[in-house]
Amino acid sequence: MTEEDAMFDPKLTKKKKKKKTGFDLDAAIADSGNVGMDASENSKAEKENMEVDPAPIEDDEALDLESFGKKKKKKKKFNLEELEAALPETKKEENNDNQVEENEVDEIDLNLDFTKEKKKKKKKKDLEELIEDRKENENNENEEPSQWVGSDRDYTYDELLARVFNIMKEKNPDMVAGKKQKFVMRPPQVVRIGTKKTSFSNFTEICKTLHRQPKHLLDFLLAELGTSGSVDGNSQLIIKGRFQQKQIENVLRRYIKEYVTCHTCRSPDTILQKDTRLFFLQCETCGSRCSVASIKSGFQAVTGKRAAIRAKNA
Amino acid sequence: MSIQNLNTFDPFADAIKGSDDDVQDGLVHIRIQQRNGRKTLTTVQGLSSEYDLKKIVRACKKEFACNGTVIEHPEYGEVLQLQGDQRENICQWLTKSGLAKPDQLKVHGF
Ligand SMILES: [Zn+2]
Repeated sequence: MTEEDAMFDPKLTKKKKKKKTGFDLDAAIADSGNVGMDASENSKAEKENMEVDPAPIEDDEALDLESFGKKKKKKKKFNLEELEAALPETKKEENNDNQVEENEVDEIDLNLDFTKEKKKKKKKKDLEELIEDRKENENNENEEPSQWVGSDRDYTYDELLARVFNIMKEKNPDMVAGKKQKFVMRPPQVVRIGTKKTSFSNFTEICKTLHRQPKHLLDFLLAELGTSGSVDGNSQLIIKGRFQQKQIENVLRRYIKEYVTCHTCRSPDTILQKDTRLFFLQCETCGSRCSVASIKSGFQAVTGKRAAIRAKNA
Repeated sequence: MSIQNLNTFDPFADAIKGSDDDVQDGLVHIRIQQRNGRKTLTTVQGLSSEYDLKKIVRACKKEFACNGTVIEHPEYGEVLQLQGDQRENICQWLTKSGLAKPDQLKVHGF
């Protein structure tokens, strides 16, 4: 057992044992026949499955190796025989299954290397070529960060870094490293109505894509634009004043920045909750929760006809 | 020139403002409103009450060549009101004169 093995988490013990038996077997096979007998009993079915059938003695040894602690390897071997072409993919899949225990896989691979060399000597079949191909694959994979696994030397920071990034890439195929998910939204459709009003026709649709209450966005728009407006029967927003699409876009961008995307990780996958007068932005991606500014229209200058206002108040 | 005059008028303005930050939220809201036609209006809300808004508006009117006034509001206090879109001008001027820090300015509108 190397020091690395001891450092990795306890889950490994199972595998370690297997590995050990494997090694013990290798040594034991030479002299003791008992182990071999047990193994052959266990693996009768396997023997039948095996299409390749070498000479009896060799067969025994081969079976020993296979049945003891190397189920995985055996599986791989079948894959080898049946799905020659698809081999790289199947291997990858297996790796994905075992991602958490990646180091285990590596250890097993090392074991495989041992056994394969033995087999190669004994079985002179097409397998040899296949195995060689596979070994190349494995070597390619082993050239990656986990080179230190199974060796006694310490890993370097760069190796660990590469390793963690590889795991991240494997686990999140969508996430290309360094690239953030882009938030794609259809632009607002803004048309002027007459000389004094503006129509924002896909207002409701945009609320839906942003997963926000129309009232919330409406309050923000009107407060920012310092005007008044309402949603009409065709679910379009009518705003008092003349506004261009660019200007509405700017306001929308600010809204998204403040009330839609997470302030910590910028994920748009968030929920806006009202809690005792304050709005909180809860992120579904990273779990952060923070309060957001409340919408205040603040001071509004009198712009209409003063005479009319006076008349109304009077 | 007018800026320097202001600074000499109250050398402790910044210090007073610093202590005042605890009382108010410290944000200066700069907004724009549309009037009839292409005309607009800029309002500046939240300037510290320690400042003499009348002097500020006088300086701004001269600097930006626009009309302006100070409005007393029951809730928001004294509010500066300038004709036209003076949002960039007022931001630059407030930071240049040291009356407000850039991160204290909140610009609204389109
Ligand atoms: Zn987040």
